[in-house]
Amino acid sequence: MRSRGLGGFAAGSFVAVAVLWSFATTDVDFSRIMSAGPRIADFLGRMIPPDPTVMDEIIKGSAETLRIAILGTLGAVVLSVPFGVLASDTMAPPALYQPVRTLLAFIRAIPLILVAMLLVGAVGLGPLPGMIAIAFHATGMLAKFYAEAIDGVSRAPISALESAGAGSLARLRYAIWPQMAPVVVRDTIFRFELNLRESLILGIVGAGGIGFYIQTYVRSFQYEKAASVSLAVIALVIAIEAFNVALRRRFA
Amino acid sequence: MSAVAQIDDVSFAHPGSELRALQRLSFRVAAGETVAVLGPSGAGKTTLLTLLDGRLHGWRGLVSVLDAPLDPDQPQPRARRADTGFIFQEFALVERSTVLRNVINGRLGRMPPLRAFLGNSSPRDLKIARDALIDCGIADLAERRVDSLSGGQRQRVAIARCLAQEPLLILADEPVSNLDPARAAEILALLTGAARSRNATVLFSSHQPELACRFAERVVGMRDGRIVFDAPAANLTNDTTAELYRETAPFSRPSLRAVG
Repeated sequence: MRSRGLGGFAAGSFVAVAVLWSFATTDVDFSRIMSAGPRIADFLGRMIPPDPTVMDEIIKGSAETLRIAILGTLGAVVLSVPFGVLASDTMAPPALYQPVRTLLAFIRAIPLILVAMLLVGAVGLGPLPGMIAIAFHATGMLAKFYAEAIDGVSRAPISALESAGAGSLARLRYAIWPQMAPVVVRDTIFRFELNLRESLILGIVGAGGIGFYIQTYVRSFQYEKAASVSLAVIALVIAIEAFNVALRRRFA
Repeated sequence: MSAVAQIDDVSFAHPGSELRALQRLSFRVAAGETVAVLGPSGAGKTTLLTLLDGRLHGWRGLVSVLDAPLDPDQPQPRARRADTGFIFQEFALVERSTVLRNVINGRLGRMPPLRAFLGNSSPRDLKIARDALIDCGIADLAERRVDSLSGGQRQRVAIARCLAQEPLLILADEPVSNLDPARAAEILALLTGAARSRNATVLFSSHQPELACRFAERVVGMRDGRIVFDAPAANLTNDTTAELYRETAPFSRPSLRAVG
C-alpha cells in the first residue's frame, strides 16, 4: 500500500505541475474574460437577425461538404476493404496483420486538419484535397473496424458449409457475409457521420465545403451571414444524424 | 453389408496437445446401420466424427469413408464432402439468415460453384429443401430468421439442412445435448426415421445411454480416445454404461472388455 500511496502522490504532483506550468507560461490574461461580457453580447447581437440573402452560398457550400463527405467515405471504404482483410487475424498471418495494424494506428494518430493542410499544399485549394484527406484519415478507423468485423464472425457456420461441400466463394457469401453485414453497415454509417462533421472544418484550411463561408464571413465581420451559415451547419448535422438513426434501424 | 466407414489403427493428437484424442482406434460402420457413440466429455467422440467428415488433418492410420480412402494431409474433394452430412452440436446455423436459406445452404455442395455463389437455386434444389423442412416439421418457419427460433426449432433446422444435402452418411455430434428429455427423444426419432427412409447410415454421439439404446442398433463406448465397448444396443447393461462415466480407472476388469 505504501508504494501505491507514493505512486499516487507522484501522479498528483505531476498533474499539479503541468497545470501550474500552463497557467504560468501561456499568454492567458483571465481579466479579459471579466471585461468581455458586453463584447460577447455585442457580438451575438450582431448575428441577429441571421442574413437570409446567403441562401445560395449555404446551398452551394452544404452540397460541397456533403459531396466531400460522401466521396471521402467511399474512398475510405474502398481502401478499408483490403486493409481490413490484411489487418484481420483470421485472414492474414501475424507477419502481415501486425504491421498493417501499426500502420492504421499511425494513420489514426494524424489529425484530419493536418492531413488536409498538407494536401492543400500538395494538390491545391478546393474540395479534392478535402476528399482525399477524409478518405485517408477515415481509413485508419474504418479498416480497423472491418478487421474486427471479420474476426468477430463465428467459425461454426463456415465449417458447416465447408462440411456440406460449399466452395470458398459460396462460404464467403452465405456464411461470412451475413454475419459481417450489419457490423460493416453500422460502422460505415458511423464513419460517414464523423466524416461529415469533420469535413465542416476543412473549408478553414481551403479544402472545400461550407466551412469556407463561415471563415470568410467571420473574418470580414459579416456576422449576420456567419450566423445563417452556422445555423445551416447545425441543421445539416441534425438531419444527417436523423437519417443515420433511421438507416441503422433498418439494418439492425 | 459393405462398410460405409472403416477406420484402422488411427491415432490423432490436436495440434499443441500432448494428449492423444484418438489412440490406435479401429472401427467399422456398415451401410444402413444406426450407431450411437457414448462416452464422457473429452473421450474423443467429436474428434472421431470430425475425422469421418474429412475435416481432421494430420492423423495417422487408415480411414476409408464411402469406399474412398481419406488423405490426412489433403482437404477432401467438394463432391465427396457433400456425401457426408454433419450435424453440429451448437447447430452452426447462420443466425441472421432465414430457415429456408440455411437449409438451401446444405445444397451448396451439390450445385455448380458459380450457381452456388450466385444463389439461383434450381427448382429441384428448392423442392429438396422444402421437403426437408416438411420432414422436420418446420415448413411453417421457412421465412423466419434463425435468431428468432427456440433451441428445439434450431435443431430441426440443422437436421433439415443436413437432409437437404442428401448425404449417404449422417454424422451427428450430440444432437440432443441441448434439449430436455422429451424433446430429445422426439429429435432422435425424427433424425433416425428420416435417415432410414433415405437409406442413409447414421452415427450419432450422445451422453444419454437410454436414448442411445432406444434409437441405435449398436452402441460404442469411448474413453480417452479408445473404444472400450462395442455392442448391439439390446445387449448393453446399465452397469456397462455406468462404468463408462465413472471418474477413475474404468474398464480395468477384463469381463467388461469382452462385451459384444
